[in-house]
Amino acid sequence: MLTRFISDQNLPDFMQKLRKFGGIEGPLRGEDGGVRFGNLSDGTTPDIHAIRTLLPAKKYLFAPEERLFNYTLQEGYKILLEDISPVTLFALHPCELAGINYLDRLLGGDAPDPHYAARRSQITLIGISCLPDEFCSCHISPSPLQALSDIFMNIVEGGFVVTVYSSRGKEIMEDMKDLAEERELPVPQDARRFFGVSLPLNVMSEIDTGLPEWQKLADRCLGCGACSLCCPTCACFNILEFAGLDGVSSERIRYWDNCLFKSHSMVAGGAVFNKGRAERFIYRYRHKQRGFGPLRGVPSCVGCGRCRAFCPIGLDLRVLTELLERSAV
Amino acid sequence: MKKLRLAITGMTACSGCQLSLLNCENELPDLLEKFDFSFFPLASSPLDLIGEYDASIVEGCVSMPHEKKLLLELRNRSRYLIAVGTCAVFGGVAALKNDEEREVLRKQVYGSSSIVESTFRPLPLNNLVQVDASITGCPPEKMELLRLLGGLLAGALPVDSDYPVCTECRIRENICLLTERGELCLGMLVSGGCHARCPSMAVPCEGCRGPLPEANLREALRIYAEKGFDRETVFARLRRFCPEWRL
Repeated sequence: MLTRFISDQNLPDFMQKLRKFGGIEGPLRGEDGGVRFGNLSDGTTPDIHAIRTLLPAKKYLFAPEERLFNYTLQEGYKILLEDISPVTLFALHPCELAGINYLDRLLGGDAPDPHYAARRSQITLIGISCLPDEFCSCHISPSPLQALSDIFMNIVEGGFVVTVYSSRGKEIMEDMKDLAEERELPVPQDARRFFGVSLPLNVMSEIDTGLPEWQKLADRCLGCGACSLCCPTCACFNILEFAGLDGVSSERIRYWDNCLFKSHSMVAGGAVFNKGRAERFIYRYRHKQRGFGPLRGVPSCVGCGRCRAFCPIGLDLRVLTELLERSAV
Repeated sequence: MKKLRLAITGMTACSGCQLSLLNCENELPDLLEKFDFSFFPLASSPLDLIGEYDASIVEGCVSMPHEKKLLLELRNRSRYLIAVGTCAVFGGVAALKNDEEREVLRKQVYGSSSIVESTFRPLPLNNLVQVDASITGCPPEKMELLRLLGGLLAGALPVDSDYPVCTECRIRENICLLTERGELCLGMLVSGGCHARCPSMAVPCEGCRGPLPEANLREALRIYAEKGFDRETVFARLRRFCPEWRL
């Protein structure tokens, strides 16, 4: 197969040229050992082999805390859209791309969220191939490699095989002609090595809410929110409005929320729909594996494994996946 | 708009919460436009309580008869009474020895001196009066105090948070001090709102903001045990800021 190949030696030059198209954000390993998406300024080396970052690239599209509106007496509510500079997100795994694909449908669909849309329009996505570990669950339903990226880099011996999926990607690669060479190479469609058995997801069926496993999970859950904060597709939010010190103005702020919190299903008057943690787990599972609302039937779990890896007590919803998806066959 | 009349004072405490408000230097001119700080002994010469207040903002726990009298007086004169800081909300460090006899404690500190004022077991405000809203923290974040005051102007009280320190710690992408470093961090049991101030500096959470309403103490104790911290050690630290911690 005739491919476009960029060697490991040429990667720094590739990155340098890429900076012409905007800032680059990619996985960086900190001194504390944690891997986070951060600015790949000149001289920094991305950790392209890191399995997962602490937070997904979601943070660039949907900020943990975002000012949505200001209110003033003169102008009423005014939407706040800051100037956003072009950003290239570098070395995104297929699950990360699938997560952004899901957020695009959720927040950038028919009635796009203006804040999301503004950020998204400035973002270029460069995917990279990866090797799943024991926390991943992309084997249950593999996230498509061609999902979304502008450019995808398949790691092969000595470098990368680069595939272009969009006009923006094409424009970038036009500029990289001197760094990429055409090579005859055998490239597997999907370099990921899967383990475990894929399960047929019965996305439209009802789930058995009577299983004792729900309560077992609930008894152990700390309610810390780690599982949804680090989830590439969790986009539930809370909105609070704070009054200004002039007695007239205010600002409305959106925060990341979590379905394991009590306030998540609290309504006016203080009633709570999902009182117990077990009910909240059922809700979470339904959302992650079956989808709901306009996205019913679209699982939102992309298999990145963060919820398992970062849960302080290692809770694993795959147990439920096994039970529910097998029994529903 | 008429200025809101405020009474701001402290009971048994270090005055740190009131100082946090006074440290909002950039906002103080704006505050003076909208509020009449009618009674604020820490900031201006003490005056008598006069008339009614739109809100009383009270720091500290109650441990002396004259404090109790003042608190009841403030309650009677105020539309809202707001507890500010961990001591006012949970008892705080002054209540650390609430399980021990007062007389023993008095002798330990003051010996045989007879000039000591009479005290009783330190109590959070809501043990004595109805509290309309609370802001926890040792001290509370400046932003929380300013939002409280902005809210009062708009006729609103602050909402309680129901997420732990861990939530904000994860958002800041910190390495978990408990699971990764084996340190006794109380983050998962303690109310958030501080943006994980301490863990973000690699200092374990000491629990200064008090218990998370839905804290899973049983599971937490199991993890702490796994990391080598026994029940007594964990409770000793938890009770530093909130003596009411019980399993």
